[in-house]
Amino acid sequence: MPIPEPRAAVDPSRRHFLKIGAGFSAAIACTALFPALTGCTPADAPPQPGMAFLRPADVRMFRALLPAIAVDLAGLDAAAREARLAAALKNIDGTIAAMDQNGRTELRKLLDLLDSTPLRWAVAGVRTPWDQATPDQVRAFLARWRGSRFATLNAGGVVLVKLASVAYFVLPGTWAASGYPGPNPAVYRALHS
Amino acid sequence: MAINDLYKAGIASGWKVLDAATFTAPRLLEADVAIIGTGAGGGIAAEILSEAGLKVLLLEEGGLHTSDSFQDMDEARAYRELYQEAAARATSDGAIAILQGRSVGGSTTVNWSSSFRTPPRTLAHWASEHAVTGHGEADMAPWFARIEARLGMAPWAMDPNPNNAVLRRGCDKLGWESHVIPRNVRGCWNSGYCGFGCPVNAKQSMLVSTIPNALAHGATLVHRVRVRRLDHDGKTVRGLTGDALGVDGYTATGVTITVRARHVVVAGGAINTPALLLRSAVPDPHERIGRRTFIHPVNLSIAEMPELIEPYYGAPQSIASDEFQWRHGATGPMGYKLEVPPMFPGISAGVFNAFGDELKREMAALPHTNAMLALLRDGFVPESDGGRVRVAKDGSPVLDYDMTDYVWDGVRRAYLSMAEAQFAAGARRVRPAHLDATYYTSWPQAREAIAGLPLKPFRALLFTAHLMGGCAMSDDPARGVVDSQGRHHHLSNLFVFDGSVFPTSIGANPQLSVFALTAQNVSALKPRITG
Repeated sequence: MPIPEPRAAVDPSRRHFLKIGAGFSAAIACTALFPALTGCTPADAPPQPGMAFLRPADVRMFRALLPAIAVDLAGLDAAAREARLAAALKNIDGTIAAMDQNGRTELRKLLDLLDSTPLRWAVAGVRTPWDQATPDQVRAFLARWRGSRFATLNAGGVVLVKLASVAYFVLPGTWAASGYPGPNPAVYRALHS
Repeated sequence: MAINDLYKAGIASGWKVLDAATFTAPRLLEADVAIIGTGAGGGIAAEILSEAGLKVLLLEEGGLHTSDSFQDMDEARAYRELYQEAAARATSDGAIAILQGRSVGGSTTVNWSSSFRTPPRTLAHWASEHAVTGHGEADMAPWFARIEARLGMAPWAMDPNPNNAVLRRGCDKLGWESHVIPRNVRGCWNSGYCGFGCPVNAKQSMLVSTIPNALAHGATLVHRVRVRRLDHDGKTVRGLTGDALGVDGYTATGVTITVRARHVVVAGGAINTPALLLRSAVPDPHERIGRRTFIHPVNLSIAEMPELIEPYYGAPQSIASDEFQWRHGATGPMGYKLEVPPMFPGISAGVFNAFGDELKREMAALPHTNAMLALLRDGFVPESDGGRVRVAKDGSPVLDYDMTDYVWDGVRRAYLSMAEAQFAAGARRVRPAHLDATYYTSWPQAREAIAGLPLKPFRALLFTAHLMGGCAMSDDPARGVVDSQGRHHHLSNLFVFDGSVFPTSIGANPQLSVFALTAQNVSALKPRITG
């Protein structure tokens, strides 16, 4: 399904905004870009139980993102896959929670944008809810944002991939996939003997 | 084999180490000198001033993490406990990732141990362009020598690991300059885990050297305390106010810590030091605080080598090249130093920034992967005036850093140099860490493709591990926050001893520059505040 460039592309005033916009601005999420649309989550929605930052909608999005980014998840049995997803989600949550106000605020805007059905469709080209999106659909979205001529969308595509992939590949269970044998064996053995 | 943790025995013998997370009521602490920050600047200052008999109080925002907790040699634990913002700190627009330490010992606890003297051309530039006095090459030489002896700095005597050997071989084949990196280690096991906290206390970070010595001389260390503001009347500082942080290391518990001190040393490092001065509304008539913050922007190139590299094992940095650093003097087109980073799985995923089958292939190739990096020397010409630190609504620091055409030109030339060196060293294929780059299989192909890469934030993946400036030293109060000896221009008993005083970037990994400059300036201060 061919997806048009985000609608901002046709509006010169928006282009100017996106050019100067640092990171993901509130404007793209809730105000200037789609003033008539609602759907941005209330600022005080609580995190999912067990999480410090991620809300249930954010968790759904990252659960869709992770198998699209780390394809070896597909090869695991259900229990192993669930355990690894949970561990990666916990890492993502801890990382964002540790960010200073600026980083947390920018991430919140991005995640709220991706949670809103009309905005997700219009800006990300993903029509289905995240828990129904296929890895191919998610990869098409990431490729589109990273290939866009708008720095703001590039930023989203780069930051989401970084958050998910780093959180995943620091997990010891993934080391076989990166050929990392684990802590330097001679030193580790000497320290723990 | 058990490694002596230092702190357990020290605390048992009476060291005064307080975890603010355990405070349940407000505290008032008094000292001759309060030092904010325990990294390269704070650690050196604490040792010299406590040895002089002064009552020293060290305040650290991060936690006290010691060798016992480093022995898992685990990347995720290190990022979570030892780095600013769990290693996810970035410039305000998110375009440049920032690796900066945050625990007792600051970045010295997690750096890769490279120990260079400040390049003479950098010192000469400061004297001629920034009204800096007393820090010429000859002035500094004895201070470098003193620190080198104190912290065991010497050129790495073992063979470089295969990752560093790629850089040396590439330089040798091309006739480029390269050199062995001095490292601050004693009894190094060559494990490669400097970045996660040295598990064997071999790296002579502040955590295992100057801070234990200061504690043995009666200093007090309070960790997990965030200094909110300096308390001053516009002429002198009477102390400071801080907030205790909980066991998560980030959330304030509501317990306030008040410090009264005759002298206050700010050593939070670039970004955090200027942010504290801004929060404190320190007199700044020329609006210099936070300006001219430099970062040695880093770009990278990834190579797949025929031989086994295992870029995670062995001393992480042992070879560097200055072939492109001073070609046009200090002020020509941007110079850069070539080095390699250690590549553990997490940091590798961050550098690859790929997804799907491409990421799977790149991760699987890690044992044969060499990565090369360029440290771009920013701040030496008007077209490279650095970034600016400001504070968010809640007082936390924000760094704006705009890439200029001058800097982008350096980025492109560095991509070219790295690819050329990697192919000369025998790389099968090379990919610049850039969204539009693919793997190139020959140097001519890479040269042509790199020439056409669009250089824009987020398309070129950029990093920094060296934060400098933002509270520049200059004897001209219109151009600096402090004078050449680190004395604040307006508050008589306030001093800045850290990398934030550098008027430009260094042009090399900066820890020895911070150590030596601090040792020199603290030693000049000492006779004026003792007795």
